[in-house]
Amino acid sequence: MAHPLRLSLCEIEWDEKKNKITVNLRLFLTDVNEALVFDPNSKELAFCQPNEAKNAETLLLNYLDRFFYIKSNNKRQKLKIQRKKLAGEGEDTALWLYFELDQPTSLKSLEIKNAVFTDLFFDQNNIVYVHVRGKSKSLMLSKKTPVHHLKY
Amino acid sequence: MKNYIPFLFLLTLLISVGCEEQEKAELTEEEQRELALEIHKRVLTVDTHADTPLRMIEPGFDMSVRHDPKETGSKVDYPRMKEGDLDAIFFAAFVAQDIRDDDGHSRAKALCLQMIDSIVASTSRNSDIVGLALNPEDAYALEDEGKRAIYIGIENGYPIGNDLSNVELYYNKGVRYITLVHSSNNDIADSATDSEGPEHGGLSTFGEEVVKEMNRLGIMVDVSHGNDSLFYDTVKLSKAPIIASHSNARSVTDHRRNMTDEMLKLMADNGGVVQLTMLADYLREAPPNVERDSAMAALRANMKPIGEMTDEERDALRQAFRDINEKYPAPPATVEHVVDHIDHIVKVAGIDHVGIGCDFDGGGGIQGVFDASEVMNITIELVKRGYSEEQIEKIWGGNLIRVFKEVQAYAKENAQS
Repeated sequence: MAHPLRLSLCEIEWDEKKNKITVNLRLFLTDVNEALVFDPNSKELAFCQPNEAKNAETLLLNYLDRFFYIKSNNKRQKLKIQRKKLAGEGEDTALWLYFELDQPTSLKSLEIKNAVFTDLFFDQNNIVYVHVRGKSKSLMLSKKTPVHHLKY
Repeated sequence: MKNYIPFLFLLTLLISVGCEEQEKAELTEEEQRELALEIHKRVLTVDTHADTPLRMIEPGFDMSVRHDPKETGSKVDYPRMKEGDLDAIFFAAFVAQDIRDDDGHSRAKALCLQMIDSIVASTSRNSDIVGLALNPEDAYALEDEGKRAIYIGIENGYPIGNDLSNVELYYNKGVRYITLVHSSNNDIADSATDSEGPEHGGLSTFGEEVVKEMNRLGIMVDVSHGNDSLFYDTVKLSKAPIIASHSNARSVTDHRRNMTDEMLKLMADNGGVVQLTMLADYLREAPPNVERDSAMAALRANMKPIGEMTDEERDALRQAFRDINEKYPAPPATVEHVVDHIDHIVKVAGIDHVGIGCDFDGGGGIQGVFDASEVMNITIELVKRGYSEEQIEKIWGGNLIRVFKEVQAYAKENAQS
């Protein structure tokens, strides 16, 4: 597989000791630019560059707010980017986003919506890996099936 | 179907008197198509690479139901395999690469085993129409039963981590080929597409042990996605023939994932097989789409500042861009491009070293071979270009099955010595 395969990857882990849910979201940068500024090769937002646009993160979070969420114990978590970086090169460059979500009580359920870029591509596949209490599970979310609920 | 009988009788007669090539040239396009469909039905058709297990982990996805590829993006399900007369397929368990430490490896192993279990569960649930296949002969036996053969591969050796015993674990789970590496280097080998460049100079020391272990067990070694050095190291080291489960010819389309003529010749010397893939970028260089680019640039030039747009305005603009894409579609990759690659590989390596690995559900799918229901179009094009039934049988599965048998034979002999 290689881009232009329509793919994103999300890894979610519950860190029981730190009372945190960590989320790593990897998106192709061309898709991010297409989604936010309608141009896959745009330099306008310049994510992770010294000249990153002031509104780049806001635009990205507004977009994610429409197409991505995590509910733990039935409560929707507010997303705030803790760290981000670029990996890869050319059309394979990925934007890695890292979020930490507070989860002070025992995790009983997770609801994940990942419909990123399904507004751009009918065949977008969003792979989600979930790691909870030493068990790993993989899911594939898509335009047709954007949401999945897991109980623990 | 009964209307074809006199026609087929005539064809059989012609073949028996050795006039096949001459007669094929004299057939009308429709007659060539009918002949191709009959050949396609008769020969064993094997696709060595589909990422369909990704679909199997989609909540609610049912392999026994026909899906609309234009609606869902799905390229393979059991009804469409039947429509396309695709007799056998290797479903690849794919785990995206993450951190190469003990935690990363153990998670990758768990995820890989989950995907393998999904494949096995799907074959069990649908045992009236498909069967899990473990040996080369199983494809023929299942075909005789009117069932599709489902083989298992692993795309990316990352879930092996650095524990050699995992190779046997996966073999025991039914895995019959492993693609050593994917889009980034792993502990086994270097990728053709890692942005950091090569790390091991091809196969790592551990990777050499992995290849030997795959030879010992009877798992086909797959060099697709590897860099050129990985190919040279593997073809030299492997005691059994190797495969490229989804790669094309670099002389025809200049892409790092494709194989040079020198590599194709070495593949022939090795007795291995290169399985042609239906990824547009590996089949042809995309020509410029000037009209579309101009229309898009004009639309962008008149856009309101992004930060000031409402969601409704964004959605309307998205639709406007979509309309432009529909008005000026990119020139597609076609089945003619596929057979251009086959022609080239046959010329360089010979008819015994080429096969089909579509990469459906992993980016594969072109005009004319968009999903599993359309694979017969490859056969139609092969017939148009004068390939005989014997040659088509080799391309569609005979070559791969030969390699598979040789890989197992080596393992068996090795076990007895």
